[in-house]
Amino acid sequence: MTDHNMNSVARILNQSAKVAGLALMLSLAACATRPDPANPAAVQAYKEANDPIEPLNRYFFELNRFFDIILIKPVATWYDGVIPDRGKQGVRNVLDNLRSFVVVANDSLQGQWSQAGSDATRFGINTTVGVLGIFDPATGWGYPQHREDLGQTFGTYGIPEGPYFYVPILGPSPPRDLIGYFGDSLFDPLTYIYWDGPYTVPVTRAVLNGIDVRARNLGTLDQIERTSVDFYSTVRSLYRQSRNNEINNGKSDVDNLPDIDNLNFDTNEPQAVSPQ
Amino acid sequence: MTTARPMRRFLAPLAFALTLITASLAATLPAAAGDAAAEAFVNEISVKAIDIISNKTLGRADRETAFGALLDANADMPKIAAFALGQYVRLPTPEQKAKYLTLVRTFVIKVYVTRLSDYHNEKLVVTGSQAKGTNQALVDSQINFTNGREPVKVTWWLVKDATGAYRIFDVNVVGIWLAQEQRSSFTSVIANNGGKFDALINDLTTKVASADAAK
Repeated sequence: MTDHNMNSVARILNQSAKVAGLALMLSLAACATRPDPANPAAVQAYKEANDPIEPLNRYFFELNRFFDIILIKPVATWYDGVIPDRGKQGVRNVLDNLRSFVVVANDSLQGQWSQAGSDATRFGINTTVGVLGIFDPATGWGYPQHREDLGQTFGTYGIPEGPYFYVPILGPSPPRDLIGYFGDSLFDPLTYIYWDGPYTVPVTRAVLNGIDVRARNLGTLDQIERTSVDFYSTVRSLYRQSRNNEINNGKSDVDNLPDIDNLNFDTNEPQAVSPQ
Repeated sequence: MTTARPMRRFLAPLAFALTLITASLAATLPAAAGDAAAEAFVNEISVKAIDIISNKTLGRADRETAFGALLDANADMPKIAAFALGQYVRLPTPEQKAKYLTLVRTFVIKVYVTRLSDYHNEKLVVTGSQAKGTNQALVDSQINFTNGREPVKVTWWLVKDATGAYRIFDVNVVGIWLAQEQRSSFTSVIANNGGKFDALINDLTTKVASADAAK
């Protein structure tokens, strides 16, 4: 490519970035649909949803669904049907094993030292005896898998997730979890080893991970879509609830449940609960 | 005495630790004792529900009828329906409310008969319970699978009715409270349609109809 060509390509890219940025800002501005302040129920519902850029989020949600329908779901369905169960489990094990550094880092940041030790041992066993993580003998030997990430770590520090964001490709990513997502990549050795190259390893890993996650949720997501009145807000609720559950490591938090003692249609004041 | 002092230095923290352990044990004891009535209630319901779901001689309509009867007898549907409306609980007129209550019952039956259809002959085992206030209880349980799948954790939130008998208010499956999930989408439909209650009624009607058509 000549210099001239390069320049014009750069100019076009630069211009389209500006146009995209402008469009984004305009749509963000258009999104600020605040509820009628004279209607207390609407104001409360708005606060409970904690989704100030909902129209934009819904747009990205639909965009992701479009890509899901034309590309991700067909590939995941193919993967699910063609690859034998043992192969899929091997892929899943390798991907999980690669995340060990992030998990151990976050175990430590949460002060869960025994879990950090267990997860480090698990990595050692599965990388060697488990042949680079393809097999998972560690679970049977008393070193079960844990899922930790920086967003959860922030959650254990008491940092709230912030307003809901739905990001293209990544999906639900409120600020706390979005920052956590990028922070986690700093704990990941693969980030440093392959960052300068043609990105083959991180890209392959991300794509494979996406296909695998989608393939394991084919039935579940279909069912949720069919059985919900509003798929977008159902996913929002499921995301928030499962994140809170992960942050509490599966222990139910009795004191944080909404107060339902006097709840009924006629006498009850509307109940305030945390955003769901 | 020269040996007494190091001895005491060793014993004092030990005594302190023992006090702490006793105190924390005493604090957890009432919770550990659990609520036998609540646990028995959950056991009974789960056996009945699993019977309905794994009875392959029942057609879908029969299964829905049986599940509906179980729900009517054991769940506090008006409370669940009110909770699912969130801040909009006082929005519906009496006619809308009556329509909504019928629709929500049908909707819940259809949703859960569909979602539970993947389970066959599994066993639900109660693992513990705790009282919440004077008339609520939380019962922990798990569904064990015969095919080696990891057990699914289920928590039942029970509330006493006027007669003092337990009724189901909400169920938590792997960390998701189902009534809260419904509340999120119900309130969202109303909020996104200019605060009109009829929008929710229309959406529920459509969903129920499409579930019938998909059979």
